[in-house]
Amino acid sequence: MTQYFDKAPTAGRRSRKSADPAAVKVVEVLIVGAGFAGLGSAIQLRRAGITDIAIVERGSEVGGTWRDNQYPGAACDIPSNLYSFSFAQNPGWSRGYSGSREILEYIKGLARDHDLLPLIRFQHNVEALDFDGGEGIWTVTLSGREPIKARSVVMAQGPLSNAGFPNMRGIESFQGKKIHSARWDHSYDFAGKRVAVIGTGASAVQIIPELVKVADKVKVFQRTPGWVLPRFDFQSPDWAKTLFAKLPVSQTAVREAMYWIHESMALGMIWNTPMTRALELLGNRFREMQVKDAWLRRQLTPDFKIGCKRVLMTNDYYPALQQPNCELISWPIASISEKGIRSVEGLEHQVDCIVFATGFEVSKNGTPFPVHGLGGRDLNAEWSGGAQAYKSVQVSGYPNLYFTFGPNSGPGHNSALVYMESQIDYIVRAIGKRATGEFKYIDVRADAQKAFNTDIQKRLAKTNWNSGCKSWYLSADGFNSTMFPGFATQFARQMADFRERDYRLV
Amino acid sequence: MQLDTVKMLAKIKNTQWALADIDWDAPGAELVTGDPELYAKLKVFMADLMWIEHVGARAFAAMAKKAPDDTLAEIYRYFHAEEQRHANVEMALMKRWGMLEGDADNPILPEPNINLRLVIDWLDTYSDEMPLEVLGSVIPSLEIALDGALCKFLLDTVQDPVCHAAFEKINEDEARHLGIGFHVLEVMGHGKLHQLLVKAAGNLLNPKLIIGIAAYLPLLNRMRDNLVKLGLKEERLYEAMNKYKRIGGRTEQGRRNPWFQIISHQSAMVVDRKSLYHVPVDALVRLTDHYPRRWLKATPTWVKGLTWKTAA
Ligand SMILES: Cc1cc2nc3c(=O)[nH]c(=O)nc-3n(C[C@H](O)[C@H](O)[C@H](O)COP(=O)(O)OP(=O)(O)OC[C@H]3O[C@@H](n4cnc5c(N)ncnc54)[C@H](O)[C@@H]3O)c2cc1C
Ligand SMILES: [Fe+2]
Ligand SMILES: [Fe+2]
Repeated sequence: MTQYFDKAPTAGRRSRKSADPAAVKVVEVLIVGAGFAGLGSAIQLRRAGITDIAIVERGSEVGGTWRDNQYPGAACDIPSNLYSFSFAQNPGWSRGYSGSREILEYIKGLARDHDLLPLIRFQHNVEALDFDGGEGIWTVTLSGREPIKARSVVMAQGPLSNAGFPNMRGIESFQGKKIHSARWDHSYDFAGKRVAVIGTGASAVQIIPELVKVADKVKVFQRTPGWVLPRFDFQSPDWAKTLFAKLPVSQTAVREAMYWIHESMALGMIWNTPMTRALELLGNRFREMQVKDAWLRRQLTPDFKIGCKRVLMTNDYYPALQQPNCELISWPIASISEKGIRSVEGLEHQVDCIVFATGFEVSKNGTPFPVHGLGGRDLNAEWSGGAQAYKSVQVSGYPNLYFTFGPNSGPGHNSALVYMESQIDYIVRAIGKRATGEFKYIDVRADAQKAFNTDIQKRLAKTNWNSGCKSWYLSADGFNSTMFPGFATQFARQMADFRERDYRLV
Repeated sequence: MQLDTVKMLAKIKNTQWALADIDWDAPGAELVTGDPELYAKLKVFMADLMWIEHVGARAFAAMAKKAPDDTLAEIYRYFHAEEQRHANVEMALMKRWGMLEGDADNPILPEPNINLRLVIDWLDTYSDEMPLEVLGSVIPSLEIALDGALCKFLLDTVQDPVCHAAFEKINEDEARHLGIGFHVLEVMGHGKLHQLLVKAAGNLLNPKLIIGIAAYLPLLNRMRDNLVKLGLKEERLYEAMNKYKRIGGRTEQGRRNPWFQIISHQSAMVVDRKSLYHVPVDALVRLTDHYPRRWLKATPTWVKGLTWKTAA
């Protein structure tokens, strides 16, 4: 895995004796990451009157996912009206599913409009978190900088923020250009180039139609085909933008409608119900309509239940594969060579550039950096058999520490931001309790966490994700610590309920 | 023998090779091209061999869909590609020996005989629906015939060192195919005997399988005739079939697999010239000669993936 952060400037290092006020002072809340979650947390904390906040961000810009994923065709696959914060609606979305740049502009707008930039320390990469139970203080270790001390820490470092080239045989020998989808190189000109794309997931299906338009030849290497459903994208008409701007309730109504449409999808995607079959029939029908050749159709037919992996919403992917300059290769990859990719049927596919749309390093069995709680306990070790938390946001033994996108908070069918908002509200409440100054720390009881997990794993056992398909939702031994087994509405209810009896207040 | 499929998959991934690993321009081609009689025989033989590998490849693709676990499915995915690689290698040998029609950039695939065409048609239409028991029992018998008879015959007949180098690699793959093949043959013999029998009987009555058998049996007979014409000793085929019976039947489970029994008996009949089996099957071979080509489906696109090239 390539660690990705912009290096701390050396000048900053030299001047570290010249008292950085934050280095001595203890901040009330430190937030790791300036993506949707980090910024959203800061906004809501401030609204609740908690203003002593610092945000550390390893990059040089806000935006997280949407700063990093700037590949051609990058867009959200949940309608923009729903893939945005309910407390900061944007009447100006240019289309149903906005592109990456527009989403990044929206996030930058959040930071600007809510005056968050003064809170953010860019090029601050968190290396470790250590809790001192006596003082009730977290020490945040940073790469090449003085540590910061904080009462509470929000880990909003993103579920999909660590991208790297996969560990493939011979990858270091390749002489051509290598590009990862989440680290796009815009200076590379694809015109006239022979390109290989490895992967056929959510990013790949967006990249491929764009590459096919410019490159000389595109070879798509597929391991497992996913379910593809049509996407109903449209350009937002001007009247709608005007209406939304003048009458925000109208946009809220649209947002509500979209929310419920996505909620109803849960019936088919999360559990195996007649709706699952119906969605599969729709997927099959769509494939038959879009793909003429029987063998290509067979290659593209998934062999797992819909919803088991992220459903791909795209109208352009299948047509792109059938362009004369595009070829789908479903032979397994044997190795990467100097000149290209060798597949098991014996051929060397020679290319100028390999695009790795191979996804992200997801920490299912561990933390992205070391986290030590009460008595030096190590979260990485505790999670080695699969991550567990209390209501996804807290872990017993790690007081005053909060997660956005913690264990079992992943949505399969609805906007991640809907889930995120209810986590943020919960976190604000808990931090608010601490900030009264009555307690040093608040810690979840171990038995409460255990009861929560017994229940959630029981519910997960009945879902499609645990129905026998491999995906990044599951750890190598099939433990599901990523997804929430239910409707977003149920998740919101879970998070709205703050039970003080489940905590130790010290 | 219980084989560790996880270890086998790792081994398969660790021992991949490509057409580019073979020096196709090394000297020795004249050992074939300089012998007109051998050349003519070999041209027919290589085309048949190539098609058999290709048909085997497609069967593995069907088995991948039916595999009982992810590891075996992945192994079959690899075998599918490896059989394609064998077919590609055989095409590259034909190219080396100037046996391909068309020009250097666009060589024309050798025409499959009508029985191959019928089997291709069947595989394209029905193989994905076949239970693993059927293909999983037929494939080892074909593989052992290829390995034990056809490849040996080729290497005895041809002195070209490039051909030997290529088949050394192919044979290493085939050893693994056979290992997995017999492992699965045994696994499928687990369970109550009467249930296995009822299931097999049910499958045998499946009209789609009956069509498959009607396509497959004449192919075997035609191949046998072609091979014998080329000078292959019939004993070689006989030995190969015995080997199937011996290895497949070495455990109780293997013997209990009804499909193993069916195929053992059938292959014994194939190699026994005097068996009455040949009366109807040879009749079928002659009949298929008159099979109207327009009844065949268009060549499926999976066939078009074959290539002699080392790079694309
Ligand atoms: C291509 C793509 C498309 C997606 N589309 C959708 C969609 O359509 N709908 C949907 O609901 N979800 C989608 N998602 C999921 C998406 O990740 C979330 O919706 C959301 O953007 C996550 O926000 P975040 O703030 O939690 O994380 P991020 O946006 O990843 O932000 C985390 C921030 O933390 C920083 N950081 C990480 N580690 C450290 C460290 N050690 N020290 C300091 N800073 C650190 C990172 O630099 C980053 O800026 C998509 C994801 C990807 C990758
Ligand atoms: Fe083979
Ligand atoms: Fe084989």
